[in-house]
Amino acid sequence: MRRRQFVHLALLAAVIAGAVTAVAVAIPWLPVSASKERERIDLTYWLATGIAIMIFSVVAAAILYSVWRFRVHPDDDRDGPPIHGHTGLEIVWTAIPTALVTAIAIVSAWVLHDNGTVPKNALHVAVTAEQFTWTFDYRDGPGKGVTLPDLYLPKDRSVILEIGSRDVIHSFWVPEFGQKQDAVPGRINPLKITATRIGTYPVICTELCGLGHALMRRSAHVLSQADFNTGNWAKAASAAPQPPPPPPSGGGTGGAASGKAIFTANGCNACHTLSAAGANAKVGPDLDQLPAEAQRAKQPLQQFVQTSIVDPNAYVEPGFPKGTMPTNFGTKITKRDLATLVQYLIQSSKGGGK
Amino acid sequence: MTSIAVQHDHHVPGTAPPRPRGWRRFLAAGYVRCLWTIPLMFGIGAGIMALVRWLEAWHPIWDGTVITTISLATIPLGFLGGIGGFDYWFDYALGNPTKPEDHSGHGAKSWKDYFRVNTDHKVIGIQYVTTTFAFFIIGGLLALMFRAELAKPGSQFVDTQTFNGLVSVHATLMIFLFIIPVFAGLGNYVIPLMLGAPDMAFPRLNALSYWLLPIAGIMFAGSLLVPGGPFATGWTGYAPLASHQPLGQVFFNMGVQWAGASSIMTALNFLVTIITMRAPGMTFWRMPLLVWANFTTSLLVVLATPFIAGSQFFAMFDRVMHTHFFDPVGGGYVLGYQHIFWFYSHPAVYIMMLPGFGIASEVISTFSRKPIFGYRLMAFSLIAILILGFSVWAHHMFVAGMAPWLRVPMMVTTLLIAVPTGIKVFSWLATLWEGRIKFTTPMLFALGFVAMFLIGGLSGIYLGSVPIDIHASDTYFIVAHIHYVLFGGSLFTIFAGLYYWFPKMTGRMYDERLGKIHFWLTFVFFNATFFPMHWLGLQGMPRRVADYATRFEGLNMFISICSFILGASALLFLYNMITSWVRGPRAVGNPWRAHSLEWQVTSPPPIFNFDRIPTVVAGPYEYGVEGARHAILGEEAETADGVHAETQEVRH
Repeated sequence: MRRRQFVHLALLAAVIAGAVTAVAVAIPWLPVSASKERERIDLTYWLATGIAIMIFSVVAAAILYSVWRFRVHPDDDRDGPPIHGHTGLEIVWTAIPTALVTAIAIVSAWVLHDNGTVPKNALHVAVTAEQFTWTFDYRDGPGKGVTLPDLYLPKDRSVILEIGSRDVIHSFWVPEFGQKQDAVPGRINPLKITATRIGTYPVICTELCGLGHALMRRSAHVLSQADFNTGNWAKAASAAPQPPPPPPSGGGTGGAASGKAIFTANGCNACHTLSAAGANAKVGPDLDQLPAEAQRAKQPLQQFVQTSIVDPNAYVEPGFPKGTMPTNFGTKITKRDLATLVQYLIQSSKGGGK
Repeated sequence: MTSIAVQHDHHVPGTAPPRPRGWRRFLAAGYVRCLWTIPLMFGIGAGIMALVRWLEAWHPIWDGTVITTISLATIPLGFLGGIGGFDYWFDYALGNPTKPEDHSGHGAKSWKDYFRVNTDHKVIGIQYVTTTFAFFIIGGLLALMFRAELAKPGSQFVDTQTFNGLVSVHATLMIFLFIIPVFAGLGNYVIPLMLGAPDMAFPRLNALSYWLLPIAGIMFAGSLLVPGGPFATGWTGYAPLASHQPLGQVFFNMGVQWAGASSIMTALNFLVTIITMRAPGMTFWRMPLLVWANFTTSLLVVLATPFIAGSQFFAMFDRVMHTHFFDPVGGGYVLGYQHIFWFYSHPAVYIMMLPGFGIASEVISTFSRKPIFGYRLMAFSLIAILILGFSVWAHHMFVAGMAPWLRVPMMVTTLLIAVPTGIKVFSWLATLWEGRIKFTTPMLFALGFVAMFLIGGLSGIYLGSVPIDIHASDTYFIVAHIHYVLFGGSLFTIFAGLYYWFPKMTGRMYDERLGKIHFWLTFVFFNATFFPMHWLGLQGMPRRVADYATRFEGLNMFISICSFILGASALLFLYNMITSWVRGPRAVGNPWRAHSLEWQVTSPPPIFNFDRIPTVVAGPYEYGVEGARHAILGEEAETADGVHAETQEVRH
């Protein structure tokens, strides 16, 4: 009698395991893998999935079988058998989970070690996060000395990202690379990526960093080694509007960049609308309407624009919360760039966005 | 032969002295007295602040942020003093003759008594449960508002600041004003009954700890109306982002203090009650598992809660007093915030889970008509979770850039928690096996809990493994995981417990049919809402974003629609609870034929619970044992009363 119950239970568990396995395999749960690190993460993922399917199907089968087989009519007043426990069984279900989680721990520790080991020929890129954009500063290799808003990586060569932040905590993540690392102000955190698949992937900020958090996205481009080594990507990207190199500690001199480049490089487009720069975010006031806004603030346009960048809380456009815009642009943007930016904003907004 | 009835024959419990009239109303405890106690406390606080700032020549002397912070500390004190939360201690401190306890604060005669300071654990239990459910409704509505925003990518109804605020206030209300205190409320009601005690050990402290709760709740919810918007840094409030936020952030910092103080006081009360007020014969190994669960939970609360208080005080000082605890420019330690915060907030996960384990054990045993399988190991596994729970906090920080060597040890302890948790799940299954299972609403919720919590536990295994966590951290996978643990886990047990003890608490039966429909709606649409989030997260949708990649559009729309049906199912629950409370059929003392003590008295129980303190003679789950009983009540108990009589005497 009892034996038959356990046979039924095992059959039910097998059916559930089959169904769950189908769900786990048929649906693409993970995005395409584009790095060696992701491949190792996927290995851990599948190990955990295997164990999860096993445990889930046993427990689900036990619940379903119990409610199907042992359910009684509401008026049935009998009690069940007074079984208080079974030491052997209790030892088994302590020991088996212990063994399973130990297996996951060992594999995970091993993967973690491999994903953190730095090879000798690794390239180094300094990554700086700030509200609400990224800058990538190429330390060696063909792009040495170049600073870009996007990340360029060679295929099959490890890159060490040295991730820091200028203001609050951000987090660097490319789902296809699997690796993620917080950008913490006041420290540099390393992250290794060995790309394996040519293509363009999203760089996503995953730590809530303020109003523009959802828009804090850039791209990571994986190039073939040959393409990467020509360095053309750096020149091509530099020919396009360029951000100034990030000042190492507040100082630094930017080159003569265009107003639009300064606008983009400082992440203004993450929060503001400005038709001339193709920006259409709505976190902060619409910069196409600057003349009208200056009027409301009862200030001359040039002074209004300058003050609003350097000391954003001096006047806040009605309908927008105070204390939202970072207050450090005054120190971050060089005097020359600031003048360029102010002129650019005035020129662009004159047409009222047309 | 002492007993409670003899002790109290000089008064009629539940009758308050006549309420004062005229100007004396301003002196008697009540809302009228708040009219001057609140301005008084605020005046004292603001006066000291102004004096210090004037002496130190800090200008401006009247600073909005500082005044707000002072109000959030002093106005609640004035309110508590006004309604009478401190009366007894205040008299005592002044050297006035202490009034003999007349128990006028016991029992509730009309609904108005629920709005006054009351020292009866059963009244307080109901105050807790109704208050927390009110905040549960608010928290749920906030969730529906941001789900409406998330139905499509781009900006629909709310701006980003409001969106971040909705997310943050939703989580904060659900954690600090619903799950943690609703368990304290259910425990408040049933634990003295389960122990065979007439009340909690410290009834006045019990009343005070309840009244701190609405204060915290109003602070969190009220921040929605503050200029600049509510706190918007998630319920985790990470520094340094939180240090540069609009005024609403201070409401979070201070609200956590009041909610935390409330839970520490209740936990101390539970500990002393459980240790000292067990009826004769109620050894630790005869306590129902809910009592064990609240015992371990209370230890967690007492040991861990001061850490979140510290983290929020420091974060607030950084903002209000320009200290540099977490500001790297001033030599502060940014990750220090996360370490201190999670040193509480990880154990908090177990604070939100262990009482649920206790409820599940009660319900599953009763409706399987079988003893709990492996009772002692069930209790030991609670203790194991308690100890391990303190050694895993940094698993929230695998990608934070903390010391790399910390990762593997924290991963091992995290994964090991699966073992005691697994023991509990397997023991519940073994309790079901060969039982006489009855499909009542509480049982449905308890079984749903086991299945949903299992999924939450398994996704926890993924997140415990550092490499997978590095990929999935801070994505919708985490959102799915916490909701499987806290909604599928905690909330399902809360529903189970509420349906289970509803007849005991109200004296009336709920509508079983509506209860079952409520379960199935909740079960189906809970899964439909949260299961797809696993996929979203793994594929690349980060959490706490108002806008997302267009490829996630369809699924987010589906999730939003399901979440609205899930929200609507709560209406059915409310309808059932309210109408049944008003005009449901009368409940008998023990409708479930359960063995534990709370079911051996009338529904609702008499004012002092037991006419005679019962004597416990066996375990609480002796189903199927011929002639077994958990305790002897009434006249029979007289003979076995001697040892604990003394304990009862010193109670007042």
